[in-house]
Amino acid sequence: MNFQEIRNNFRDKKVSAKELTEESLKKAKDKSDLNAFISHFEEYALERASYIDTNFDQYIDKPLGGIPIAHKDIFCTDGRKTTCASKMLENFVPPYESTVTKNCNNAGSIMIGKTNMDEFAMGSSNETSFFGPVKNPWDDSLVPGGSSGGSAACVAADITTISTGTDTGGSIRQPAALCGITGLKPTYGLVSRWGMIAFCSSMDQAGPIARDAFACSALLNAMASYDDKDSTCSKRESVDYEKGLSKDFGKLKIGVLKGVENLGISEEVLKAYESSKKILEQLGHSFVELDFTELSSGICSYYVIAPAECSSNLSRFDGIKYGYRSEAKNLSELYLKTRAEGFGDEVQKRILIGSYVLSAGFYDAYYRKAQKVRRMIKSKFDEFFMDVDLVFLPTTLDQAFEMNRESSDPNRMYKEDLLTIPANLAGLPAMSLPNGFSKNLPIGVQFVGNYFSEELLLNTAHKMQEVTDWHKMTP
Amino acid sequence: MNKIELKNLLFLSRLRVNEEDQDKTIEKLQNTFEMIDQMNDLDLDKFEPLNNPLELTNVSRSDKEKNRNKKEEFLEKSPKSDEDYFVVPKIVE
Amino acid sequence: MAQNDTLINGWQPVIGLEIHVQLQTNTKLFSPAKNQFGEEANTLVDLIDMGLPGVLPVLNDGAVKQGIAFGLATNAEIAKTMVFDRKNYFYPDLPKGYQITQLHYPIVKNGVVDVEGKQVRIHQAHLEEDAGKSMHDIYDSESVVDLNRSGVPLLEIVSEPDIRSAQEAVKYLKKIHQIITYLDISDGDMSQGSMRCDANVSIMQPDDKEFGIRAEIKNINSFRFVEKAINFEIKRQIKVLESGDKVEQETRLYDSIKDETRSMRTKEFANDYRYFPCPDLVPYEISKDLVKKVNDNLSELPEEKQKRLMETHNLNEYDAGVLCADKSTADFFEEVVKEADAELTAKWIIGDLNALLNKNDISLKESKVEAANFSKLIQNISDNTISGKIAKDVLDEVWQSGEDVAKIIEGQGMQQISDEGELEKIIDKILAENTSQVEAYKSGKEKLFGFFVGQVMKATQGKANPGLVNQLLKKKLN
Repeated sequence: MNFQEIRNNFRDKKVSAKELTEESLKKAKDKSDLNAFISHFEEYALERASYIDTNFDQYIDKPLGGIPIAHKDIFCTDGRKTTCASKMLENFVPPYESTVTKNCNNAGSIMIGKTNMDEFAMGSSNETSFFGPVKNPWDDSLVPGGSSGGSAACVAADITTISTGTDTGGSIRQPAALCGITGLKPTYGLVSRWGMIAFCSSMDQAGPIARDAFACSALLNAMASYDDKDSTCSKRESVDYEKGLSKDFGKLKIGVLKGVENLGISEEVLKAYESSKKILEQLGHSFVELDFTELSSGICSYYVIAPAECSSNLSRFDGIKYGYRSEAKNLSELYLKTRAEGFGDEVQKRILIGSYVLSAGFYDAYYRKAQKVRRMIKSKFDEFFMDVDLVFLPTTLDQAFEMNRESSDPNRMYKEDLLTIPANLAGLPAMSLPNGFSKNLPIGVQFVGNYFSEELLLNTAHKMQEVTDWHKMTP
Repeated sequence: MNKIELKNLLFLSRLRVNEEDQDKTIEKLQNTFEMIDQMNDLDLDKFEPLNNPLELTNVSRSDKEKNRNKKEEFLEKSPKSDEDYFVVPKIVE
Repeated sequence: MAQNDTLINGWQPVIGLEIHVQLQTNTKLFSPAKNQFGEEANTLVDLIDMGLPGVLPVLNDGAVKQGIAFGLATNAEIAKTMVFDRKNYFYPDLPKGYQITQLHYPIVKNGVVDVEGKQVRIHQAHLEEDAGKSMHDIYDSESVVDLNRSGVPLLEIVSEPDIRSAQEAVKYLKKIHQIITYLDISDGDMSQGSMRCDANVSIMQPDDKEFGIRAEIKNINSFRFVEKAINFEIKRQIKVLESGDKVEQETRLYDSIKDETRSMRTKEFANDYRYFPCPDLVPYEISKDLVKKVNDNLSELPEEKQKRLMETHNLNEYDAGVLCADKSTADFFEEVVKEADAELTAKWIIGDLNALLNKNDISLKESKVEAANFSKLIQNISDNTISGKIAKDVLDEVWQSGEDVAKIIEGQGMQQISDEGELEKIIDKILAENTSQVEAYKSGKEKLFGFFVGQVMKATQGKANPGLVNQLLKKKLN
């Protein structure tokens, strides 16, 4: 059953929140070898489900009423462990609730657990988690993608129908593509970052992960809100994305890639891309070819700006006030040991890169330059959106890959985000949806929209999903 | 990047890499910088740096107090504290 | 260089001050926790001040207004757009591992203050957050951290290197103190750390074209120490240069007990603060409307107050200037003269009260002398209830105990004797007891008049109304 059917059944009292929760909890247990979860909250979830059943009338109209959900372990949950998949926060229990999880609670969802992820959301394969890698539900020798790998695996394995993720350089869209599900990175500032552990503050954005665009729209309705606790949050009139699915946006002009063959995209992914274009054509949309060359330099900019911000954001983890503290003879040793032991290799590497690009003498050559590239990419998109309604491109270069992938290219993992990063740099909304299979593994494709065009994105993806079945495939 | 630069970087970041692993760390960092350095081929003169995608301005709050004293909870959850303070190894001025 | 009495052994000191002023907002710069000195440790700590993961700062617009007020009071440029940056360094009382401050786009730029006729330029004043407080003397091998101060708004006022002597530095610092207290943006209390001062000191030969290498002295926490620390540092640098060595560009700590500056332990690597724009905050555009609003509500500045006191209370320029040097004194004066005579009040504040304050090295606020009580003292002098001499004793008593003036006078029977009949009886008795002196006086030894006055005062324990005593004595003796 998909999200919509489950919600209808709950609303029609054909199934109780408690039954739904029990089922999710059981599946989570059965599929524990996926390692999709860091924490399970069985007792809490069942209690909350009973409460919702008892107060059914209050929840019948809520967008997520009675629906089990899994939250990425990057969102702080009041009184409940929040680790960000790091040893540093292995036992950290925040005394505050993130706006995202609070909004989801208010929308009637039931949190069954917190999902595994790359440590501090730094990674594209979920292998950097202190709690071990997540396995791809389609093939347990493969990665689910990252950093929201646990949330993606959880939905792909049908443990829950919805989960939350965050996307700094592709961390929602890439695992969604690799797991054959749907995920949306909203416009920067649509969803509050309060209580979401920061990686790269100027790009981090929380968004919905689900099997289909319909569920994403319901979850986004819950997640998005203006929040005066986040100064970068946009003050806008709220939009009913679910209602927007039935709107008619007419025939769209869609930007597609010119010279895709030069980007290193695999044959299978390209093939699926071409056949999806045909579907869009059949739906009456037309294409404009766009030169993507400049956008591919986004990756250089990203790997300067994201480490720079992370090096600063992660300075608070020093063993003084909370979190892990190593035994040490003196203060200077306490800092060094706490941080060297508390952070994994990838996190430490990014902190070092970040410190380097911000240090005296290198700021202009790296950080400032990267910000100029960022402006260039934003301008390029602005130019695109003068002509087109949406940009359409593959989400990833390839499909899910094996764990501990060997590559002759030392930067292969970073290039995983080549096609997703530009939207983060520009702060644009982007959405990945499954669009094909090869070797029994899913492939994803993404739309990038203009600022705050989530309604159009979800509507277009939904219309595509009405005439395709890729999102219905399960492992 | 040489070892002295790496050591400076480690000091700034309060991180530690064993002497024998330092060459490997340097190599890893250099590989990443090779990718990053492709930026140098771009002509960026006409672009102003972009800090934040939405370029919002003037977000502030009024000067009103909200008391959220969580002293006990903060101290209790800290790695080391006494009744009143966070406790750390002696800070040498 | 024209007149130069600032040279020391032929060397020209060049000084710039960086003054940190804690703003008197209700809440912290980026969190809604209370901004208050002296509360129980770690009770004024919001999630944001703890630097917890995932929490975000939101700018307090009260601090922005106070920053603008300072800019207006120093004829400075108010930024069209100000931007907050992160300054990254590790310290146990810096919870986030960075301080949010303003590097390139400060709220105030290019101001100027008049220090006894000399213009000292202000390079910039920027908003930033204060760190918590570490204390080292509670345990032997451990330090403790109190985060109540973490996030308190600071205005850091950076002068140009326009100052040429330690004395001038103190005068400049006092001028800044005067401005911030008049604006009511800070209590400026150096003993509590609401105003802190770092000094950049270098020396050069008078005809040198470039400044010498400077040392930054930190941790100077009183006006007196500013002068001492700078003077010590000037002498130290002269010694270094005259022995053929070089002054090192470094940070030095002033030790008020040993009265010396010493180098802070040099670290293995230089610190590099890796400033960059804080991505959690957005630029703030200061509109003309906002500046106007702040300007319309700007408190009276010292020069304005001085002028007003001269006009409304008929004070001379000197007296009004002394009263207005310190806002709390001027406010005290205005409170006292609601009931008491202005001229007499000014005389007593500038004279006896200031003497007590200076002798005890405390501020008016810290003393036990309250305006209403002081006003009674002046009124009692005016209506001849007590003599000026007795008034000094009463003031001493008020200074010690803070006791009500009326009670002191009554309790100790200090009222002046102005009853003609009573005084006449006393005088008659004294004249009768000292017949030989009376004769001597009458035969021309007029100097003895003072002797009789003294005897009357002695007999009345100084309470006799001196004017009346003079008058009666003259009548009886002549």
